[in-house]
Amino acid sequence: MRWGEAVKKTLFLLLVTLAAGWFSLLMTRKSFGASLETLAESLDRQVGAWAATGQDGTYDEETIYDYIDGAGEVYRAYNMQGCLSRTYTAAGGEPAIVLDIFDMGSSEDAFGVFTHDRDGKPATVGQDALYRQGWLSFWKNRFFVSLYMERETPAAKEAAFRLARAVASLIREEGRKPAILLGLPQKGLRDRSVRYLHHPMLLNYHYYLADENILNLGKETDALLAVYNRDGKRARFLLVQYPNPEKAKAACSRFLAHYLPEAGGKGPLRLENGKWAATSLKGRFLAVVLEADSRSLAEDLLGEAKACP
Amino acid sequence: MSVKNIITRRDFLRAGACITLGSFMGLPQGEGSPANREGKSRVVLVRDKDVLDSKEQINRIALEEMLDGAVTALLDVPDPSSAWRRLVTPSDIVGIKTNVWPYLPTPPPLNEAIRKRLVEAGVGEENISADDRGVLRDPVFQRSTALINVRPMRTHHWSGLGTLLKNYIMFVPHPSRYHDNACERLGAIWQLPHVKGKTRLNILVMLTPLFHGMGPHHFSRQHTWPYCGLIVSQDPVAADATGARIIQARRDAFFGGERQVTPSPRHIVAADTRFGLGNSRPERIDLIRLGWQEDQYL
Repeated sequence: MRWGEAVKKTLFLLLVTLAAGWFSLLMTRKSFGASLETLAESLDRQVGAWAATGQDGTYDEETIYDYIDGAGEVYRAYNMQGCLSRTYTAAGGEPAIVLDIFDMGSSEDAFGVFTHDRDGKPATVGQDALYRQGWLSFWKNRFFVSLYMERETPAAKEAAFRLARAVASLIREEGRKPAILLGLPQKGLRDRSVRYLHHPMLLNYHYYLADENILNLGKETDALLAVYNRDGKRARFLLVQYPNPEKAKAACSRFLAHYLPEAGGKGPLRLENGKWAATSLKGRFLAVVLEADSRSLAEDLLGEAKACP
Repeated sequence: MSVKNIITRRDFLRAGACITLGSFMGLPQGEGSPANREGKSRVVLVRDKDVLDSKEQINRIALEEMLDGAVTALLDVPDPSSAWRRLVTPSDIVGIKTNVWPYLPTPPPLNEAIRKRLVEAGVGEENISADDRGVLRDPVFQRSTALINVRPMRTHHWSGLGTLLKNYIMFVPHPSRYHDNACERLGAIWQLPHVKGKTRLNILVMLTPLFHGMGPHHFSRQHTWPYCGLIVSQDPVAADATGARIIQARRDAFFGGERQVTPSPRHIVAADTRFGLGNSRPERIDLIRLGWQEDQYL
């Protein structure tokens, strides 16, 4: 009897412990960056001399235009799910700090929107961070975070970094970068030139190609734009992953018809500016050398591009 | 598959220069602007260092005097009243196209000064409206016979520069459709029936222009400066081209070397070469300088 009671007690304790563990785990996930709401709840409203003022702003893919005007299109083009905005102010003439946390829905798109503007000095916050005078940005997991100061002061800069690290610590887990990055040739790659995107409007922003979507880019395609420098010779390279080989082939045909009609799929073509352009299909991947200083560089890049999983 | 009517980078390369693409594409030269396409376009740059105080608050009287001086010189008449009577008639219905971007809006004192001068020229109060994002729904704009275009100059994420030409993007229901290729087709908006030929005056506000943008908000106070100027012209292209030169010069000075506006504001040159809205080349601009001369960046 006493043995039976001990077993029951042990089992009960075990169940309670397991339940508490699951509950704790659920709470932890929810409390640490599971959503913009939980980030808003968890984030300190006081950071040194700066205190949050007013109500937090929340925006979706439609209302984001009300908040950041035309630039909202960039975030929409990366599938923005929501944006949380909070302003911190301090006394003594110090500038306000505007914190914007964008939920991009996936870590790949958080990385993507981070690559839209790669000016600045690298900083150690989140998974990648950049600091320009008065603006700190970073990405972690599916969040892209921007901290903007109306003007830079030493105290404001310190507070912005402190706030950024607080946000980053609340987003507990790191996210993965787009798998298509594995397909880029590595030799001579200018890391800071890499842009990950889906939308033809963003491709045109970084490299104007055409006034129509001649590569059939869209939400279901992943694209990388990158610059190479090998032995003083430069190249601009594009790698696109389509949902299936048929769509990749169709896009290649459309691109050739509109952009390189003379090429006929027979190797690099010399453009009017003396640069070389070429394409290569590998399953559902289309590699395009948009312009290279030499024919051999174009051929090498196409040869080295990988059809990653 | 049709291969016609798609403009690609190759077209630019074939033409030899991006900025002249429109004229090589067989596109029609536009009409509908009072800009002088045959000769030079007159542009007035007026500056007063006292128009802003130490906190960059506007001195209304100084601002009104700048506006008066500019329109008088622009139209080569003896006084501001004469100038405004040349610009509008009492029967006109006038829309003042402003810009409400929160970080750098069209200054309310300037809107009020324009409205005051319009009323003095005989335009009925009920026939004047100042609006930006609601122009397509505004009853005065819907009936308008004349437009006054007024906005601050700034860098812009999609168009390179937020210009007078760009300010009319709210006259279309889907502005984002004009964002491709750095908004190069903005000039087309000026050819739309509800816009074409209505613009009587363009005022590019250069009081505290933004010469560099960053981040989601594209604004930082440290990238503005008290230029204390207005650029006034009947030719929006000439006014924008003049403002663009100032912005570029300020950037170069601030960053210590050439630092091009990104993306290149090609819509200004396209408005000249492709849409025929005015003159973008300095040699086609008759620039009149009034007031404060220091650090003009021109």
